Amino acid sequence: MSKTLVRFFTIADYEEEEIWLRRQHQSGLKLVKMIPPCFYVFDECQPEDVIYRLDYKNSEQTQEYMQMLRDFGWEYIGQCMGWLYFRKPADAAESEQDGELFSDNESRVDMVIHVVKTRLIPLAIIFLCCVIPGFTRAMSGKYTGVLGTFFSILFGIMFVIYIYLIVYCGTKLRKIREKYKL
Amino acid sequence: MEDKIRRIYVPMTESGFYILFCLQEPQHGYGISQQVKRMTGGAVSISAGTMYGTLSKMEKDGLISFYREEDKRKLYQITELGMEILSLEIKRIERLYKNSKGVDVDE
Repeated sequence: MSKTLVRFFTIADYEEEEIWLRRQHQSGLKLVKMIPPCFYVFDECQPEDVIYRLDYKNSEQTQEYMQMLRDFGWEYIGQCMGWLYFRKPADAAESEQDGELFSDNESRVDMVIHVVKTRLIPLAIIFLCCVIPGFTRAMSGKYTGVLGTFFSILFGIMFVIYIYLIVYCGTKLRKIREKYKL
Repeated sequence: MEDKIRRIYVPMTESGFYILFCLQEPQHGYGISQQVKRMTGGAVSISAGTMYGTLSKMEKDGLISFYREEDKRKLYQITELGMEILSLEIKRIERLYKNSKGVDVDE
């Protein structure tokens, strides 16, 4: 039997997402695939302690990369919006590092920087170049009629969501980076 | 030697050092991690993502080069530049070690 759960994690919540997926598996739901932006398809399974890990690669991952992850005992589940999902049974991890994708702080910080550069900054640019101009035009009453009201509301909602996402993700990614800072 | 490369890699991270050291013989990522575990009695363990990231960076910076492919696995080997960096780093560690034992060094 398969089951689909809806849960929204931002680009700064990958560590919580890993824990959430592990808990699901402990309670008998193993991840089968993700459907963007926030649908998780699970299959019912024997409850088991399985470690889930996410890696961020916005570009095409190489065959070499996939082979290396396999060599290290990681099962590839799939990818969703730049994030690759892997898992490994907890008892197959010989050491703490064996249960992680990154064993030193430098590589953990590298991933955070990569997320900021390719996700957070583009988000901020869209905000500055599209959402703010649209929002100010709407506020100054440039849009009229029914369509105008619709646009004004749309830009209002986008304005709030973007501010929330940028502030939330920016602060949180900074906190993660600081946690791992050398 | 390019100063920039030297600034980036000396001093090196622990994983960086072991990876470069192991690549004095051609080897692939997983092989390196096994060798490092053996050498250090399990004290140093390099994870998959860190291994892949470090190898890619070192290849880009010319410290190691592609040797050949074996069942989808890329084997790497240290380059001349890599050897220079490695010996600088070894010298630095030797100095640290001697100083930690209370021995003065003059280089």
